[in-house]
Amino acid sequence: MTLTNGEISAILPLLIPALGACLLPIAALDSDQATVKWIRGFMFFTALLALTGGFIYLTRLWSTGAQPSYGALHMDRLAQFGGIFVLVAAALAVLQLWDHLHQEGWVKGETLSLLLFSVVGMVLFTATSNLLLLFLGLELLSLPLYALTSTLRMRDRAMEGGMKYFITGAVASSCFLMGSVLLYGATGTLDAAAAGRLLMTPGTALDPIALVGGALLLSGFLFKVSAVPFHQWTPDVYEAAPHPISGFMSVATKGVAIIALFRVMAVGLPVLGLRMQSAMAVLAVLTLAVGNLAALAQPNIKRMLAYSSISHAGYLLLGFVAGTHPAYAGMLFYLLAYLAMNMGAFGALTAFGLVGDDVSFEQLKGQGWKRPGLAIAATFCMFSLAGLPPFAGFYGKYMIFKELILQGHVGLAVFGVTASLVSVYYYLRLPVTLFIEKPSEAAERAASERPAVVAPFAGATVLVCGLLVIILGLIPGTIMATFARPAVQETIQLPR
Amino acid sequence: MITAWINTHLLTFLVFAPLLWGLFLLCFPERQAPLVKLLGLLGAVAIMLVACVQLFHLIPDPAGTFFTERSPWFTAVNIPVDYHLAVDGLSFWLVVLTVFLVPLTLLGTWNSIGKRAGSAVALFLILESGMLGALVAQDLLVFYLFWEAMLLPMYFLIAVWGGDERRYAATKFMLFTLAGSLLWLVALLFLAGKAGSFAPAVMAQTASTLSFHAQCTLFLAFALAFAIKVPLFPLHTWLPDAHTQAPTGGSVILAGVLLKLGSYGFLRFAIPMFPSAAVHYASLMAGLSVVAIVYGALVAMMQTDIKKLVAYSSVSHMGFVMLGIASLSLIGTQGAMLQMLNHGISTGALFLLVGMLYDRAHTRKISDFGGVAVKMPIFTAFFMIVTLSSIGLPLTNGFMGEFLILNGTYTAGFAWARTAACVATLGVLLSAVYMLWMVKRVFWGPVNPAEDSGTAHLHSDLNAREIAVLIPIVVLIFWMGIHPQTFLAQSEGTVARALVQAHAPAPLEHLPAVALSAEVK
Repeated sequence: MTLTNGEISAILPLLIPALGACLLPIAALDSDQATVKWIRGFMFFTALLALTGGFIYLTRLWSTGAQPSYGALHMDRLAQFGGIFVLVAAALAVLQLWDHLHQEGWVKGETLSLLLFSVVGMVLFTATSNLLLLFLGLELLSLPLYALTSTLRMRDRAMEGGMKYFITGAVASSCFLMGSVLLYGATGTLDAAAAGRLLMTPGTALDPIALVGGALLLSGFLFKVSAVPFHQWTPDVYEAAPHPISGFMSVATKGVAIIALFRVMAVGLPVLGLRMQSAMAVLAVLTLAVGNLAALAQPNIKRMLAYSSISHAGYLLLGFVAGTHPAYAGMLFYLLAYLAMNMGAFGALTAFGLVGDDVSFEQLKGQGWKRPGLAIAATFCMFSLAGLPPFAGFYGKYMIFKELILQGHVGLAVFGVTASLVSVYYYLRLPVTLFIEKPSEAAERAASERPAVVAPFAGATVLVCGLLVIILGLIPGTIMATFARPAVQETIQLPR
Repeated sequence: MITAWINTHLLTFLVFAPLLWGLFLLCFPERQAPLVKLLGLLGAVAIMLVACVQLFHLIPDPAGTFFTERSPWFTAVNIPVDYHLAVDGLSFWLVVLTVFLVPLTLLGTWNSIGKRAGSAVALFLILESGMLGALVAQDLLVFYLFWEAMLLPMYFLIAVWGGDERRYAATKFMLFTLAGSLLWLVALLFLAGKAGSFAPAVMAQTASTLSFHAQCTLFLAFALAFAIKVPLFPLHTWLPDAHTQAPTGGSVILAGVLLKLGSYGFLRFAIPMFPSAAVHYASLMAGLSVVAIVYGALVAMMQTDIKKLVAYSSVSHMGFVMLGIASLSLIGTQGAMLQMLNHGISTGALFLLVGMLYDRAHTRKISDFGGVAVKMPIFTAFFMIVTLSSIGLPLTNGFMGEFLILNGTYTAGFAWARTAACVATLGVLLSAVYMLWMVKRVFWGPVNPAEDSGTAHLHSDLNAREIAVLIPIVVLIFWMGIHPQTFLAQSEGTVARALVQAHAPAPLEHLPAVALSAEVK
């Protein structure tokens, strides 16, 4: 079998990280104490190299404008956007992992390998509308994440979180699979786009089996997006996983699920997508309410960030309710902003050297004045998450709310801004803790006894993220025109 | 080359120079605080000089605006956003007030910031950027961005450098302001979506084609955001907390400029964009203003903390400003413009003076004082002048503003106008009661004999630095009281244009109105 150049370029973005993922366990075999430092360095270097290679390849592909495909695998603009998004998030996570795992004293090779396999699954997930390939991508991205949640396996909580994620995730996967089966039964094809065309044949009533299948598919996606009522796993899992992995899960998993949702529901099965729009609106409102209200009362930073991540799923779902090209482009911009601000927020936990089971605000009191640059960058990320201008998060919300209002959903927009008003309160807690509260004397003493925090890479990622939320906020128009809009316009043909 | 660039981009320079300078100052380590304070002051003075030299030497273009800068910024979701800055009659004196108050505040609170003074100075400069940006923005989204950008530095000034309850006060300030502005954003996006532009003129055009009901809803959404900032009764509850907890400098800037942006928003956007809704709701606005005037004064009377008293007097004074605006008459609105400047200067000065007293006595309770005049005669003299200006004694600035507002309200053609003016006049009386009663208890009478009383801690009168801060303020107080025309002439044309469509009905009968200069530049 020979492959044409186009076919090779379609699968290369998958192959490059996969190759890295296969190489890493070999390096991890050697546990000789004398060379362990070098091996660790080599592993992280390899992982970064694989991610950078994929990134460079995809950006090249983007700049040439080529949209190669191989069978049901379409490496089009949307997939390229998703791939770049995932690779950047993964690279930030790898840099943060180096510091975090050293702080925890648990540096193992398989962590990086699993992360890379998950990246492969995510790139695949965004690049196809074939239900079987989608399922393959879904499993390939999820299974490593279940294991990654339990990375620090000497802890009970990590094991519990991983198990919880695995069981609930398995239910979601079965929903997805069942939905695919029903759709296949109703239409006789596994390709969502072809199925959509069949369902839209004039003169035929919508098959109820197809509707049930669509609803089950949607549940599978919404689980990954962590929208209410499929959100219960989120706080426990984020709390159990290492900080960078939580950040990666919150950003990349949500991002690719949203992008795949575009492809399947908005483009492939618009009939079902339109039917479910009101359900989407209800779910978005519930997600916003639950996420924001629950986040108010969390003493644990990671649980707060987990509920905040749920609430952001709500804003993104509002974009689906609007359902226009600019709204989808706005959602992609939102995802870029979310990448910067949430990786920055989770990275700050590592950069401030928070380890152990309990990551509470208590430990950060007064730290801002000791490391002002880092604290300011983290504060910017928080303000951006809260949606305050001139940071990137504001423009993401701005574009989604604007389309909602233009489409006549003023009530939903009012609910959305009210929710983000509530969110300001809990996002402010981090800056307040960092800059305003004084550490107790016992904490001061304990801190002086502990060795100084060493986290150069994590610190650098937080600074980069802090800078990014400002840059994205200063030139939102350019970002929209160069990335978000082409990704949507050249890929999504909307039915109306 | 730089001067040439400044000449063509004066407003960009004005808006962003403080920001960049503030960010630069943030890079200094904490032990360099004295140097940072000096650099911050020099920067603020330089900006004031550049602004004044440029603003007073140029002639406005035919539309009555100066220094228009306009270039497309970004197009988000099909609606272009213009980076459009200009100064006109409405914002002219407020810009001058801002660049004037910031260096005075920095100098006036030179030693009272305490810890981490360098960062505080930097935040003041960043805040100045936000305020100037909001004052010169002509595009509504740009205005919104600057409006929100003012929030963060002020939040940190209160939350980090404030009093014991600072966290509560700062959070309340943040949430109140955001609650208004987020709903306003929805209204803004709604209208911009219909109009396809963020230019106020285009949006006003579109608004006039909407149903009356829709116009009213939009007006209320705009008005809510501005009324919270003013703050109008009953949305004022964040103000006493924020003022009492903020550091002296924060209070000065908050009272001096930030509150003005609320009333400025009414004049610049809410009223010209929705004239019929403004006429419809004028009675509501006037009613709330009158309540604010009387209620603020009554509550101020009962305060035991001097700073809180000044804070409630702010509610009362801003009520006058809002009453002038609600009268929708040229005279009343011009009075409101003047009263905005008056309040910025007088109340700003009162907060500075209270801060000076607090630095020495470490208490602000009225009952801790008594006989301060014996210990600090120079301070007492300055305090008396500012007090009288705050009460509105003729020949001081306060009189001119309140007089024009009451006159404009009384002669406006609304059915409620005379009642409102009469009740509001009661506020003038009450302001004399609460201010003079406080002055009597703090400054006059025998020296408080208690060992740990505030008066016992007063060992020194004002020093040269503090006197240097207060003298320009006193000069302005008399200048504005004796020759208000300097300040009124600038805004008359713009105010008249703002009220073209939203004017009060013709007076019921002819009443002698104050003759204002007919020369509209």
